[in-house]
Amino acid sequence: MSYAYLFKYIIIGDTGVGKSCLLLQFTDKRFQPVHDLTIGVEFGARMITIDGKQIKLQIWDTAGQEAFRSITRSYYRGAAGALLVYDITRRETFNHLTTWLDDARQHSNSNMVIMLIGNKSDLESRREVKKEEGEAFAREHGLVFMETSAKTAANVEEAFINTAKEIYEKIQEGVFDINNEANGIKIGPQHSPTNPSLPGAGGAGGSQGSSCC
Amino acid sequence: MAFLEWRKFHFFDLKKDVDEGKIAELFKESKVTVTCSGNNHIVLGDSNGQIFLCSRSWHVRTFRAYELTVELAHQLRNSPLLVTIGQDETGINPLIKVWDTSRFDKNGTPFCCRISRAIPGNRPVHASCLCVHEGAQLMAVGFVDGSLVLYRGDITRDRSSKQKLLRDASSTVTGLAFKTTSTNIFLFLATDSAVMVYNITHKDKEVKFHLDNIGCAKKCSVLAESMIESHFMVGRNDAIYCYTADGRGPCYAVDGEKVMLEWFRSYLVIISKTTRPNLAITNDNQSAPSQGDLITVLDIHNKFIVFSATVSSIRSVLNEWGAFYILDNDNRLYHLDEKDLQSKLSLLFKKNLYDVAIRIAKSQQYDSDGLVNIFRQYGDHLCDKGDYVGAIEQYIKTIGKLEPSYVIRKFLDSQHIEKLTMYLEALHKQGHATEDHTTLLLNCYTKLNNTVGQSNSLKEFILMKEGDLNYDVDIAIKVCRQGSPAEALMLAKKHEKHDWYIKLQIEDHQKYVDVLDYISNLTFENAEFYMKKYGNILIQNAPYESTQFLKRLCTNYNSHNSLDNSLVGSFELSQKSDPEDYIHLFLNNSERLVEFLEYLIGEGCILSTPVYNTLLEHYLHVWGNLENVSERNKYAQKTLKLLQNPDIKYDKSQALVVCHMHSFSEGILYLYEEQKLYQQILRHHITKNDTSSILACCRRFGHQEPTLWVQALWSCVRDTKNPPIDLLNEILTVIAKERLLSPQLVVDALGTGSVDITLGHIRSYLTNELQQEQKKTKEISDLTHNYRKDTEKLKEQLETLKSGTIVIQGSRCAACHHPLELPTIHFLCQHSYHQHCFQSFCEEENECPACQPENKNLLELLKAREYNKDLHETFHSQLEKAQDGFSVAAEYFGRGVFNKYKVIRDEVRETAPADKIEKKRVVEPEVRNYGLGAEARLRQVEKQGQVLIPTSEGRVRVQEHRYSSSLEAKNRRVRVQEHRYSSSLEANISNYVPKSYERKREYSGDIAGTNPFESDYDESKNPFASEDDDYDENNPFRDDCDKNSNPFYK
Repeated sequence: MSYAYLFKYIIIGDTGVGKSCLLLQFTDKRFQPVHDLTIGVEFGARMITIDGKQIKLQIWDTAGQEAFRSITRSYYRGAAGALLVYDITRRETFNHLTTWLDDARQHSNSNMVIMLIGNKSDLESRREVKKEEGEAFAREHGLVFMETSAKTAANVEEAFINTAKEIYEKIQEGVFDINNEANGIKIGPQHSPTNPSLPGAGGAGGSQGSSCC
Repeated sequence: MAFLEWRKFHFFDLKKDVDEGKIAELFKESKVTVTCSGNNHIVLGDSNGQIFLCSRSWHVRTFRAYELTVELAHQLRNSPLLVTIGQDETGINPLIKVWDTSRFDKNGTPFCCRISRAIPGNRPVHASCLCVHEGAQLMAVGFVDGSLVLYRGDITRDRSSKQKLLRDASSTVTGLAFKTTSTNIFLFLATDSAVMVYNITHKDKEVKFHLDNIGCAKKCSVLAESMIESHFMVGRNDAIYCYTADGRGPCYAVDGEKVMLEWFRSYLVIISKTTRPNLAITNDNQSAPSQGDLITVLDIHNKFIVFSATVSSIRSVLNEWGAFYILDNDNRLYHLDEKDLQSKLSLLFKKNLYDVAIRIAKSQQYDSDGLVNIFRQYGDHLCDKGDYVGAIEQYIKTIGKLEPSYVIRKFLDSQHIEKLTMYLEALHKQGHATEDHTTLLLNCYTKLNNTVGQSNSLKEFILMKEGDLNYDVDIAIKVCRQGSPAEALMLAKKHEKHDWYIKLQIEDHQKYVDVLDYISNLTFENAEFYMKKYGNILIQNAPYESTQFLKRLCTNYNSHNSLDNSLVGSFELSQKSDPEDYIHLFLNNSERLVEFLEYLIGEGCILSTPVYNTLLEHYLHVWGNLENVSERNKYAQKTLKLLQNPDIKYDKSQALVVCHMHSFSEGILYLYEEQKLYQQILRHHITKNDTSSILACCRRFGHQEPTLWVQALWSCVRDTKNPPIDLLNEILTVIAKERLLSPQLVVDALGTGSVDITLGHIRSYLTNELQQEQKKTKEISDLTHNYRKDTEKLKEQLETLKSGTIVIQGSRCAACHHPLELPTIHFLCQHSYHQHCFQSFCEEENECPACQPENKNLLELLKAREYNKDLHETFHSQLEKAQDGFSVAAEYFGRGVFNKYKVIRDEVRETAPADKIEKKRVVEPEVRNYGLGAEARLRQVEKQGQVLIPTSEGRVRVQEHRYSSSLEAKNRRVRVQEHRYSSSLEANISNYVPKSYERKREYSGDIAGTNPFESDYDESKNPFASEDDDYDENNPFRDDCDKNSNPFYK
């Protein structure tokens, strides 16, 4: 499938906040009530359209457990966006946000777009973290905030797409260096100005190829 | 942390020593340096440069590939090509050799297609990694110094192959893999310190793409194919990292220092070093090696660890023949055999891991029956655990295979009604619901409505779109009818179950007018049908509206719907229903019916006879029930108009009956007249005692049916107390004039009557009658007298014939009218002939040819009578048919039916040819020889016989005689011809004798009573035969005789 841009996302957050479910809902449009723990990093991809452009989202769904932190850390780099997820029915997941955020900021490139997600909004009766608190946290740290429900699919699409939009805007503003793979953005084959497969660009193909890494 | 790895199962069996130590034998002296597999054999290379090809039955073929050592080998999966890298000389001088293992030379060495040096640039470097594309067009060799050489072109040939140095770096190449997508070919490369991918789709345009900065050890990378997206997997100490051509993919956290990765189907085999020797399952009784290798098999797709065991140091993992083979450092071969699906599943069932089982079963394309079984077991399990919702979800997946009753039974408890509903809904959605299921579901809905107030669900279910209609509407209606009538009605309307709708409205809601509205919206056929069906109830309960509707239906029906759409309406021919079908609906409502039918007639409908009949009947019914005189008159007028309308084809007799029933005399009379039942009219008048009408009637119809008068007479006499004289007189006059009744009967009639009728009343009649009688009597007696006289004359003649002398005076031949000359023949009839004339003329030699035709006629007449005499049946039938039986009898008398002259005639016949043939007078005593005068004598006898006839009969006979003679005259000409013909015949005398003998024979037969003439008598030749048959009918004298002249008549 051809795409204009490839954005890489990472989903982070405490264990059990519903990261895998968000991904499943976004990629497969389904909800699995019982989900095995994520061991390592799982992976999903989906095409979306922004501004008339096909954009492929590659999403790393990381394990939330501390034991895997070292593995998951390596994925921060090379991600253009991050979904920082907490569970609105468990305050401690909200409390850990600072840790996660610090971790992410430390290991990722500075331009990474981070979206704060308060998941499980369908469980209003068991809510422990007010929406306002989430909003306040997001404001404080310069994040985009959204409450979602992976179960009802509420706001799931929006969360991913809004993030993608923000990245796209940043690209348009020139904030991202799109030629740097480490930023988590890749230009699609047909949009690459240095696409070696294009006839006529053949001569420079080899050197261009090597220069982009 | 407890759950840092995937769930663990044992889906593989590890079997030791599958090769029975054969491989260990081979490598007693040397060391295995390289292993690979493919194309149905395992390839092992040893440190001495030998290569071993092991077949499945562990048959080994050995050949020397290199002088010194084999370093790398790659066997293509599906072709016999084997690529090896090894040393032929000391020093660093790796050689690539390509072998075709399907072609062996004499020494058992496979054909070596190619030998070329593997050198990046000009440096002598050890090769560390070899990879060949399955298409045999691409080959990559990695070197210890990090350089990578890509060979393009047919690998089996030196010439066409072009090599290219792609990389020149410092870290050792540890892994290589080709990956082909539909559009691109990628080469994955792993080194000690990095992972990268080359897009090598286009020659000389290879694009490098850096994937990661961390590398892996040798053998610790593998291309995982057969997944949706192939991953290049790299094993590191903390986890297995996956890479796609786009970048990093997922990663699976598996602890341990990885030694080797292998990919097989959807399993990833990881060999890692373990520090837990106690887990080793080696059965060596020696002390378990402290540094065992841990085999972990991951099911990447389902995310399980499907096998895990420890084996002492593993050299390699080979996958061939659908299974793993593991070779350890002691050259023992282990077989890692996957359990079959059933045992895997049962393993999972034991652990109640149904969801896992389902996942596995699905991923292995388990058949649907098996899956259903798993779903059911899972459902049962969840049920037992009390998770009914979950159970139902599982059960829903069994729909179509599992008998629904199994599930329904489990959830029949009212507590589970919601789940049951869910199940049933699913059942309906999938179209497996039966009537009972629908019923149950609807009942569930209604129950839910009552308890929880979820009235919507029922409505939603009912009002599903047409497309997803998955229940039987009829049943749904039936069920809803009890629980929630409104829904039932809705349902019926929605699905156009008109019958149900109407039924519900009528029976449950008594909304008759609504029903009519509803029906009027239907199409003609439907409207007609339902009106027929429910019209009765509707008319009873909503007579006015129903009648209006029926009028519309029978004249010009357009459903309201089509009226809205005038365009369509104009194209549609308006349809009419047959009113006859609706008449019975108005059973007790004559007025409505009359209104209905009048409307129809007014509209100019052509109605059928029964309709008119009914209308008539109901007119009269209404007429009969009306009190008001003017109203009655109005109706009477209407009725008469109806009766007189020639367009209206009612059944007259039925109309008559109806008129009678309602004693509607105008109608009755009209109908009588129509039907020409004048007698009935008369009778009607008589019963009404309306003498003037009687007379008028008689006068009017008397000429058409004279008996009316007689009847009038009888009625006068019998019924009327005081018959008006003028009436009686008129009747009598007409009777007398028309001779309708004999005076005797008239007198009788008058006498029998209970009424006083004086002689004065009928005097004139009687005198008239008597005078006429007298006149007639006189005429008859005159006639009798004449007959007598004739008879006398005839008698005298007879006497003279018998006893007197007859002078034959004829001087001329009757035939030729020339003077007679001898020999002559004389007849008593005064005819004389020359003999030759006679012979040429005569038919029979003893008859006078001149008289013969007449005689013959007479004879035939007699014969016919004779013949008729035996026709008893004709006689009886005539007797029965005849008005006057006596006259018939008399006539038969006249024909001599009862006479016995037959005998006489026989004699005559017998004795006739007296002069020529010897006669046989055997039987009859009275035989006389008449000689030549036989004919005349015959006639005489006849006359004699006639004398015996009674006078009256005689008179008849005379008439007959006259008649027949006149006829005879007519026929004479024909006769003459016959004569000629017969004379020519008779000329042949030789024939003559046998003829007479024939006669004799006939005669003897006659003793038995048969008429000898019968055989001769040819009906067809006899011109009278037909006349005789017709005689009774056609005789012009007969009528006269019967009616007027016969004195015995009356």
